[in-house]
Amino acid sequence: MKRRLVAVALVAPFLLGACGTAPSSPAAPAAPSVQTVAEITAGATFNANDVMFLQMLADHQQQGLEMAAIGASRATRPDVADLAKAVSLTETDELTLMRSWLTEWQKPTTVDKRVSVHADHGGLPSTTDDEINSLKTVTKKDFETAFLNLFLAHQHNAVEMAQIELDKGANEQTKAFAERVKESRADQVQQMLKLLNG
Amino acid sequence: MRRKIAYPLATLGMVGSTLVIASPALAHGYVSSPPSRQALCAAGTVTDCGSIQFEPQSVEAPKGSKQCNGGNANFSILNDNSRSWPAKSVGTSTTFNWVLTARHRTASWVYYVDGTEVATFNDNNAIPEATVSHTVDLSKFPGKRTVLAVWNIGDTVNAFYSCIDLNVGGGATSTPTVAPTTAAPTVAPSASPTTAPTSSTTSSAPASSGSAWAPGTSYQTGDVVTFGGASYTCRQSHRSINSWEPSVYTLALWLPL
Repeated sequence: MKRRLVAVALVAPFLLGACGTAPSSPAAPAAPSVQTVAEITAGATFNANDVMFLQMLADHQQQGLEMAAIGASRATRPDVADLAKAVSLTETDELTLMRSWLTEWQKPTTVDKRVSVHADHGGLPSTTDDEINSLKTVTKKDFETAFLNLFLAHQHNAVEMAQIELDKGANEQTKAFAERVKESRADQVQQMLKLLNG
Repeated sequence: MRRKIAYPLATLGMVGSTLVIASPALAHGYVSSPPSRQALCAAGTVTDCGSIQFEPQSVEAPKGSKQCNGGNANFSILNDNSRSWPAKSVGTSTTFNWVLTARHRTASWVYYVDGTEVATFNDNNAIPEATVSHTVDLSKFPGKRTVLAVWNIGDTVNAFYSCIDLNVGGGATSTPTVAPTTAAPTVAPSASPTTAPTSSTTSSAPASSGSAWAPGTSYQTGDVVTFGGASYTCRQSHRSINSWEPSVYTLALWLPL
């Protein structure tokens, strides 16, 4: 665990440095004082829910990035592939943000065991390795239906996690991020349901 | 394996208890295509649905109901036939696809038309496969019909309910939503059954260079928009959504000029 932490701490500044696309002027209305997400700090006030949310969503999002990569490469319709690519890009930056906040709090950036928010009443997470692997093997003809249904569930789960954070979290930055997660995933759900139903 | 499970739970003991409290409000599955009533609400195709718009997977209620909301008073809008739910034209054999947000052990999946059971798929308490779909013969029920699909959970008293409005036999193809073999046929028919589109989600006009950023717009790589007094160029083609406006959070999509 310690080794992982160190690795992330080393990687984070590198990612920041690698972000050569950083704007030359502070143009972002949402956070005018920073130029990349990696510069945004969370602040010292946080509770266990904030930590749990970031750890769970970071883990969840790594799965999401795997699914989105498969979606981008196997989707037939450009609209589906473009959505997968845009999700992949924005969630990669979100992952950087989440890990840097956990590191700022000196908390592990990974979870040892994937826990479903439904675990207490027998529910397994909607996404497991089996689901991700099924996307690699499903026929081309059935791919988009499989991908959209699995990714819909995945993004519904993100909304569920965000809602818990909004209800129980303490850190203002993390709660604002949870609101972004909730809003963006709900809008992605709209797009995916429309794509699914042609 | 057990040791691995115990460790994080012990470490995060306080957090774990929070999740237990929160979980009853969470939920687990619905029919996504052909679109169920809650899917139409979540897609924004039918508006003013209330909270179901953000949790189409939440129509949970004790087993045995024949109502679209399963008897769950929070979602009584789903029983309201006056909302003119658009009926999807399908062939006489239709494949129903599910979105599952938690994989519960499953007793059965049951389909009813006008209160009559037309198909049952017994899972014998198994955990659902990666994707769940069922093909149901509706040839005895031509015309406009409301199908009630029920997911009976194996290890709780509850079930999940979805009503799907169909025009059986009204489709040119037998299973239009299941197998998009090519791009054209699945995209083209979308306009007709969508009776109440929201303006923000159906805009398909290409962005003219330098126009103000707006949600629901298809942007292509290289398009230029203005937002908050600054100009940005699109780096990855996408259809815009709220929270994907140009900002420090979306540098991967929008590069400040």
